Amino acid sequence: MTMIFGVPAAVLYGQLLLGLINGSFYAMLSLGLAVIFGMMNIVNFAHGAQYMLGAMTAWLLLNFLGIGYWWSLLLAPLIVGASGLVIERFLLRRLYKLDHLYGMLLTFGLALMFQGIFTNAFGSSGQPYKIPPLLSGGSNLGFMFLPNYRAWVIVASLTVCLTTWYVIERTKLGAYLRAATENPMLVQTFGIRVPRMIMLTYGAGVALAALAGVLAAPIYQVGPTMGVDLIIVVFAVVVIGGMGSIMGSIVTGFMVGLIEGLTKAFYPELSSTIVFVLMAVVLLLRPAGLFGSKPEPAGAAHQEKLEIAGPNPRRQMIAFAAMAALFALAPLVVYPGFMMKAMLFALFACAFNLLAGYGKLVSFGHSMFLGTAGYVCGHAAKVWGFTPELAVLAGTAAAALLGVASGWLAIRRSGIYFAMVTLAFAQMIYFVALQAPFTGGEDGLQGVPRGHLFGVIDLADPVNLYGFVLAIFLGGFFLIMRLVGSPFGLVLKGLSDHEPRAQSLGLDTARYKLVAFTLSAALAGLAGSTKAITSQIVTLSDVHWSMSGEVLLMTFLGGVGTLFGPVVGAFVVVAMQNYLASLGQWVIVIHGAIFVLCVLAFRRGIVGELIAFAGRRTNRGGAPAHSGPGH
Amino acid sequence: MAETLTVDRLEAWYGDSKVLHGMDFNIRAGEVVTLLGRNGAGKTTTLKAIMGLMERRAGSIRVDGAEIIAAAPYDIARKGLALCPEERGIFSSLSVRENLLLPPALAKGGMTIAQVLDLFPNLKERLDSQGTKLSGGEQQMLALGRILHTGARILLLDEPTEGLAPVIIQQIGRTIEKLKALGFTILLVEQNVAFASGLADRHYVVELGRVVDEIPGPELDARLDTLKTYLGL
Ligand SMILES: Nc1ncnc2c1ncn2[C@@H]1O[C@H](COP(=O)(O)OP(=O)(O)OP(=O)(O)O)[C@@H](O)[C@H]1O
Ligand SMILES: [Mg+2]
Repeated sequence: MTMIFGVPAAVLYGQLLLGLINGSFYAMLSLGLAVIFGMMNIVNFAHGAQYMLGAMTAWLLLNFLGIGYWWSLLLAPLIVGASGLVIERFLLRRLYKLDHLYGMLLTFGLALMFQGIFTNAFGSSGQPYKIPPLLSGGSNLGFMFLPNYRAWVIVASLTVCLTTWYVIERTKLGAYLRAATENPMLVQTFGIRVPRMIMLTYGAGVALAALAGVLAAPIYQVGPTMGVDLIIVVFAVVVIGGMGSIMGSIVTGFMVGLIEGLTKAFYPELSSTIVFVLMAVVLLLRPAGLFGSKPEPAGAAHQEKLEIAGPNPRRQMIAFAAMAALFALAPLVVYPGFMMKAMLFALFACAFNLLAGYGKLVSFGHSMFLGTAGYVCGHAAKVWGFTPELAVLAGTAAAALLGVASGWLAIRRSGIYFAMVTLAFAQMIYFVALQAPFTGGEDGLQGVPRGHLFGVIDLADPVNLYGFVLAIFLGGFFLIMRLVGSPFGLVLKGLSDHEPRAQSLGLDTARYKLVAFTLSAALAGLAGSTKAITSQIVTLSDVHWSMSGEVLLMTFLGGVGTLFGPVVGAFVVVAMQNYLASLGQWVIVIHGAIFVLCVLAFRRGIVGELIAFAGRRTNRGGAPAHSGPGH
Repeated sequence: MAETLTVDRLEAWYGDSKVLHGMDFNIRAGEVVTLLGRNGAGKTTTLKAIMGLMERRAGSIRVDGAEIIAAAPYDIARKGLALCPEERGIFSSLSVRENLLLPPALAKGGMTIAQVLDLFPNLKERLDSQGTKLSGGEQQMLALGRILHTGARILLLDEPTEGLAPVIIQQIGRTIEKLKALGFTILLVEQNVAFASGLADRHYVVELGRVVDEIPGPELDARLDTLKTYLGL
């Protein structure tokens, strides 16, 4: 048997082929993302779900209507693309003047809805899809066996990618697209219907994802979750290549696929994380990406920013005291288990809000801090026999360390790229947790002892445990409250509003961001560690991307940038999970719908809307006093 | 002669700040008319409002009698209007050729591309360069040239001489004369009075979002002092 650097040649070729296949999909999907982003400045989080819709549509067409692969290759992209037109026309079109993160949040909500609806209808397990007879079998190339279908996927993907490139870079239609990307208003004065062009571009990008889905159907299992993990990798690809160039997306997609294949051959342990490692290296060396990014238009004056309500220290203290009293007495009427869970999620959300609301760095990967801290705390308590307070401290410190490391890289980007970077890092941590020996893998870390606080207070006693959680929540919350009102908090808010100005004043903005990031990570870790002690189990769901989605949901629902919003949001979401548990996957659909609603109709969240409402009332009441004689 | 473009009580806002406070003026077919005024007077905003680019606008804008105040920009183009914007608006991701060919012909009677290139011979050799690699003067010619083949009859030119060398300014002036001779109707925004005086049939003076005076072309020399006071020269 031929060996290449200690690896059998057949294995190497096999993995390279696999890498090329994966690369085909990365290329097609990141290409679609780049086209959509170029035109609309929206990171289409639903791209993975739309890829899934393409595959599911092909599967449904086959199983219910008997329509085969070749027709599906045409019909599924048309159907899914048409749904994209509807999404653009009725949802995305309302967002163009807002901060770009809203587009990402809304499409994230849509992705959850699609995934939830299809899981309800067809279950979460994958279904096989037969390779069309024309392409079954394969050919022996002498050095390896090449299945025909795989060859077809590579050829088809290359053709699609290069055609897209040609259309955009070399045709009249492409000239319109490029011009509209630069200056849509001017292009309109030439008589071109830019809004319709944007709608069709989104439809085409979505159709491209669906086409990739149909191509993927016979290779991977067709199921509602097939797009999720893929889209996270594709985000990493997008960060590596940058969304500035069409050819760049294609080249990066295939290249990342090949590197992944090589890693599988030479060092399989690293294969699921190599993409994220690559991303980290690129962030370090060339933060704008290999092919340069389409720069995010700097926060122009007309763009509505993620809104923030101003603090009022005295009222805050009163509200804090009221909350403390309320939560202390709550177990008399509410199930304490619910209270503890909600308080810990509230702390998690407040930690997230410190970064998202005040630093305007919206992370899509905060689960990594919650989960890592949980694992470390659980391990320390269970294996090393730490007392609970030391175990919690250890978990918190671990999260802080992870915060320093990931934050150091992530703050090199901002806005949507920051969101994608954090999401990708969290996914890397997820894979580490899946494989590492001490996390218990799929089973989780079970039987974490509650132990005795300081060696004396028995946390097995429900009252003690409740007091412990309450103290941690209130302590964490108080810290955040003081931080936000402190000079540090004001600088943080100021630099997120006007970064260039802050820099010109000589502030080391990166340093402030990193401190905020680390604090946020540590506090999220505090919540995660405590959760490990109270629930006595740490599972993969604590590091899963959906957990990052939940904390986003809590914060935006409650009111991002408000002090108490995340608490309210956390209680609402946890209550929903408790009382709607019987609905199963529909809860995910509801989560998704709430995202969509929040972004479209009430971006300030519950508490933010209340503050705005109160503000309008006092303004109205106070106005006559200034404007001379009134009633 | 028929009034081709009539602007009545035109108001426009950027967000909550009102910038045009009732502009009134008109242009007859085949005329060259200028809007003169200080920096920030609202000249560019007026052109943008006519082209439908101001999100919030009120009043009346009529082209050959048809109201366009509420029309979308892409429909306004179909009424025969075209804009050569401030700072030229050349697309950097498009070649010179693509920039030139980008605006589609919406009506008959536009120039052919060959005629446009005869008007601006400098562009001929540069057709394959990147649009923004051209010199300032060449970019101005490109911005002007690309709206000549669309069939538009009313051209809105926003400071076509800004930042250009005297020779180039002369060339632009001759081009505008040729366009007038060809029957184009031209609304010219200018700060360069010397340039405008040789070309225009009438001048409107704009101040703080209003037309404050109208000066017929022949009277300009006589009223030069008044004009200079208006413009703060
Ligand atoms: N995008 C904008 N947002 C807010 N205000 C604006 C904007 N553009 C212009 N303005 C304001 O509107 C007013 C009119 O501006 P406009 O550009 O129409 O002036 P102008 O007469 O063309 O000036 P110039 O001769 O300097 O080009 C100015 O006070 C300007 O500050
Ligand atoms: Mg101007």
